[in-house]
Amino acid sequence: MESSPDQDKPSVVQRQRVDTIEFYRHYGRLRDGRLQVDFAALTLPDGLKTVSTGYGRNTLQLSGGTVIPELQAHTLGALFQTDLLDFTLIDLGGQDTKIIQVRRGRMQDFLTNDKCAASSGRYLENMAQVLGISLAELSQYTEAPVELSATCAVFGESELIGKIVEGYPIDRLAAGVNATIVQRVLPLLRDFSSEVLVFSGGVAQNVAIVRLLAQSSGAQVIVTPDPQFNGALGCALAAEKNII
Amino acid sequence: MIGITTTVPVEIIYAAGEIPVDINNIFIADPDALQRIQEAELAGFPRNVCGWIKGLYASAINQPEMERIIAVTQGDCSNTQALMETWEMQGKEMIPFAYPYDRDREMLQLQMAKLSERLGADWAQVEEQKQRLDRVRALAWEIDRLTWQEDRVSGFENHLYQVSCSDFNGAPEAFAEEMRAFIRRALHREPLSPDAVRLGFIGVPPIFPQIYDFLAEQGAHVVFNEVQRQFTMPFPHADLLEQYREYTYPYHIFARIADIRQQADLRRLAGIIHYTQSFCYRQIEDIIIRRQLPYPVLTVEGENPMGLDARTRMRLEAFVTMLRERA
Repeated sequence: MESSPDQDKPSVVQRQRVDTIEFYRHYGRLRDGRLQVDFAALTLPDGLKTVSTGYGRNTLQLSGGTVIPELQAHTLGALFQTDLLDFTLIDLGGQDTKIIQVRRGRMQDFLTNDKCAASSGRYLENMAQVLGISLAELSQYTEAPVELSATCAVFGESELIGKIVEGYPIDRLAAGVNATIVQRVLPLLRDFSSEVLVFSGGVAQNVAIVRLLAQSSGAQVIVTPDPQFNGALGCALAAEKNII
Repeated sequence: MIGITTTVPVEIIYAAGEIPVDINNIFIADPDALQRIQEAELAGFPRNVCGWIKGLYASAINQPEMERIIAVTQGDCSNTQALMETWEMQGKEMIPFAYPYDRDREMLQLQMAKLSERLGADWAQVEEQKQRLDRVRALAWEIDRLTWQEDRVSGFENHLYQVSCSDFNGAPEAFAEEMRAFIRRALHREPLSPDAVRLGFIGVPPIFPQIYDFLAEQGAHVVFNEVQRQFTMPFPHADLLEQYREYTYPYHIFARIADIRQQADLRRLAGIIHYTQSFCYRQIEDIIIRRQLPYPVLTVEGENPMGLDARTRMRLEAFVTMLRERA
């Protein structure tokens, strides 16, 4: 990310996504308890400010970098991506659900899932695999959802297989999977009422879930332009604006 | 030696000339605590049952000399009945004890009388033991005061000394001596930073005590441990029955909430961590706690004694950061 005098906010110069296991296998190695990143192999120039976030925050320290709390990164990312100051942010990622109440541009309160990752991207991936369809196709269905247990991803999977055996069509099964995610998220929103819900994380790419969420919450749902990079953009912004 | 599953009127056990052993403390202090969970699962305990229950089961089984156990069937954990039945099947002698949900004085009196009779303690001796134990408890109260009023005791130390008041480590005078020595040391320490974020910890004692040191590293100071403090009976009543009626933990949640609110104001808390075990009915009570406590609340869930997981660390850190920014 860089700033220029004729723009009122910084712009993104380059972005790149590396899967977790690939990253740790090829680009990072542990030295003296700190994670050293091979920036050259990532085709990134040396000497840039580095800010990291995520689970690694309290597990590994990035050598030569700064770490910021994940919820702060997401808040900054959403502020940058939406230019709003008052909203409730919903971030549904691979394993996590985060609900952050933002008022006057600051994190006011938050809720996250604890042990259970039932309403996450990982759940959607598993269910799409069981249905034998892509995530893109899964995200097309909202009508007449089959009833699925909203309690557990593992139970949900066996339940879905049961519904397949009962002969329900793919569109209703897929709608059921999407509705399950919304059912899980709604109770978390109960205490964080807001007219505007900003939606980020990989799950925000599922348009069926966006539509169901808007219907059941009655709020305006705004998906960030770059939902999967929200936390990363927050980190870049923290470095660019010297917040850290 | 008599095992106990949680705090019971321990005066009765000492009056009977027996030594109480809180099985929770044996389990959590065991370097192989996780192994105990696995043993219980091998014995058939379901995976989606609280880690404390499984740990208690295996820890007592591994102590053949613990032939008798007082199990609290009402006012602690909804799984205890099945726990005591599995112990009984393994040849342990079970002594049930129930705190009456509505704090009924006569019902509680009856329970205490039955326990005294079963253990062969007479009431005059029980009253004497109360005097003896109250002297030890007073030291735990002082440690608690030094925590919130003088910032000289850490959240973990506060937890440790207070939680030990369930059985006084089986040796009240030695435990008192240990606390006196600790208080002397604490009085000579520099107080902790006044800028620390003041936190309360409510709910059952955590299955990962590492949470206290982690919070301290984040610049937070736990100045209130709700249930641990209750274990010290911090209400100097001359009447033993009234003491166990005022003890909030085993009765309905609204009395607990009144106590928490009072202490939270007194101790100037910035936020509260509500700890529950995975798969515990107390997760339902979280609804009431969040509604009725006018403080920011972070609900933290623990399962097995494996230390703090990355997600819990992330959540705790975000909570402390948020409270600091609000201040």
